[in-house]
Amino acid sequence: MLSIQDLHKSFGDVNALSGASLEVARGQMIGFLGPNGAGKTTTMRTIFGLVHPDSGTVTWDGREIAHDDLLRFGYMPEERGLYPKMRAGDQLAYFGRLHGMSKHDAQSSATTWLDRFGLGDRAGDPIEALSHGNQQRVQLAAALVHDPELLVLDEPFSGLDPIAVETMSGILQDQAATGKAVIFSSHQLDLVEDLCKDVAIIDAGEVVVRGNVEQLKDESPIRHLELEIDGDAAPLLQALEGVQELSTDDHRVSAIISAETDIRGFVARAQEAGKLRHFSYTTPTLSDLFREAVR
Amino acid sequence: MTGLGALWQIALREIRERLRSRAYLITTALTILIVLGLVVLPTVFAGGTEMSTVGLVGSGNQTIVDTAVALGNANDNPGDPPSVEIDTATYDSRDAGVAALEAGDIDALLVDATEVVVPSTGGFNGSSLADRLQRAASAVQIQTVVQEQGQQAADIVKLLTTNALEVTTLTQGSEESGQTRTIIAYFGLILLYMAVLLYGTWILTGVTEEKSNRVVEVLVSSVRPWQILGGKVLGIGTLGLTQLLVTLVAAVVAIRVTGAVDLPNIEVTSVLNLLLWFVIGFLMFAVLFGAAGSLVSRMEDAQTIAMPMTFTAVAGFFISITTLDNPSGPLAIFGTYFPLTAPFVVPVRAALQALSPLEYVLAVVIALSAIAILTRVAGRIYQGALLRFGSRVGWREAWRSSQR
Repeated sequence: MLSIQDLHKSFGDVNALSGASLEVARGQMIGFLGPNGAGKTTTMRTIFGLVHPDSGTVTWDGREIAHDDLLRFGYMPEERGLYPKMRAGDQLAYFGRLHGMSKHDAQSSATTWLDRFGLGDRAGDPIEALSHGNQQRVQLAAALVHDPELLVLDEPFSGLDPIAVETMSGILQDQAATGKAVIFSSHQLDLVEDLCKDVAIIDAGEVVVRGNVEQLKDESPIRHLELEIDGDAAPLLQALEGVQELSTDDHRVSAIISAETDIRGFVARAQEAGKLRHFSYTTPTLSDLFREAVR
Repeated sequence: MTGLGALWQIALREIRERLRSRAYLITTALTILIVLGLVVLPTVFAGGTEMSTVGLVGSGNQTIVDTAVALGNANDNPGDPPSVEIDTATYDSRDAGVAALEAGDIDALLVDATEVVVPSTGGFNGSSLADRLQRAASAVQIQTVVQEQGQQAADIVKLLTTNALEVTTLTQGSEESGQTRTIIAYFGLILLYMAVLLYGTWILTGVTEEKSNRVVEVLVSSVRPWQILGGKVLGIGTLGLTQLLVTLVAAVVAIRVTGAVDLPNIEVTSVLNLLLWFVIGFLMFAVLFGAAGSLVSRMEDAQTIAMPMTFTAVAGFFISITTLDNPSGPLAIFGTYFPLTAPFVVPVRAALQALSPLEYVLAVVIALSAIAILTRVAGRIYQGALLRFGSRVGWREAWRSSQR
């Protein structure tokens, strides 16, 4: 279990982190969300000792992270970095070796991962000869080659085409399913909603929301209500308690209402007003939660 | 993995990847070719025979030509081809000879043993030929005077051409070996100077490269900065010094084969002296170049950041040269105990026997301590600067931003 508690860090006058806390258990995959400059990369770097927090702790299985632990972590930095002239296979084997693998294990693992990413025939090519997407695949493979217990990935999906996103999503889900702790940052909220049961949202250096996505949605103070009838639906909605926002698109009216609002009987009232074409009552999306959190 | 394990992996990667790169192989081949050229070419040119044709008009000319050939070949080794060969052609009149000279049939024209005519655009060969004939003519004249005037003239000529005072040099028993030591020390000095600047730059750009292509962030997530820096110095150092050694061996073999230079017999102690300071000097500058490389993120900035080290190496080189004239002067003493100049100065002073064993040991101890301190300082600067991308990071800023 990775546990980050109450991190504070300032660079000169800039407060990068002011109370960042989150936890990632083995077998759990957490989406780490936040606007640009909120402190995602800084938080991830503290795990590897690349940034030293002014206060707060980062522990793995309850202990402060030692150098040997780092050998069992995998990291994909936001700024991708590989040796452009080094062959893809050699490069992966090299990172395996740096993480303490034997020569044979490193080489066979490099081959396995290249095959898995569909790059088996490119093992002998220098990185600079690969396309951007393929370089990104190799970069992820570099974080996975030593079979780490914790995966920390900074924007692993940025710049990938939909098929690559699918491959990478599948691999990350596999990793979590085999008991790895996985945390990745992303701006693609829909993707995170699909992939992760759990999220953490950071804003201005502080983790403002964290937990199970479904639970967060349930606990949200708002609900979405959509209605479409023959005739004007707006008065019906306006009559409800706790309406926060109302918007009309053609005949369909959308409203954000309080979760407390009692909507029992609402459908019946709508049907009386005109023929009911559409009705939905949902918890907010992750995007809504995100916007709410970083407002 | 143990600390040295990762360091070793990094060194191995440097060696493997650079051996695979065309740039390394080409520069090595080119260096060897240049060195072989420098050794072999002079002997090829020196071995040639200077051929020329001289036109003769009137009488008394043949003696001058014969004397010129004899003088020109006076220093030849028996069995070698002659250095000078002169063919002759006889003409009836000066005008006929000049015409032949203008036509390029002959290189010079001798008239009645009193005049030599050379083309106006004479060039190198023409003027040297005129000199040759001039000296031969003088010799012939002196010979004639001596023959006519007898012993008296011979004495005068002898007085004019010999030194009046016999010079006796006070020699020490080891003078020759002392000279050899100095030559070797200087040779080593030049090699160290080249190695520091050339391979130091390799280390510098190698470090900057990792920063500019951002691979460094992946590296430092599992490898300690001192392991990266140490691995780079070890790997590139090994590779650079191998290149140097291969070149040296090629040069020595070429010299032995062609006999171009008399190689001195080299004492083991002077080689050890040289080797010790070579390693000390290289390590000292290598860690500094490595730290400097971490301060910049772009290759364009890498050269300017090296200025302080380059300047120090140049200063050490010049202090070392002044040491030759004044082995115990204040500059020499400063250079001995200032660790960054010591690798240049100490081997030369030791060769000149201007250092007592105690002073020598003191210099070694200071230099080794300096390496220990510099490695820590460089390691900390390296660590502090590694993840600060963008504009150049100041030395002091890097020091401060690094913790632990």
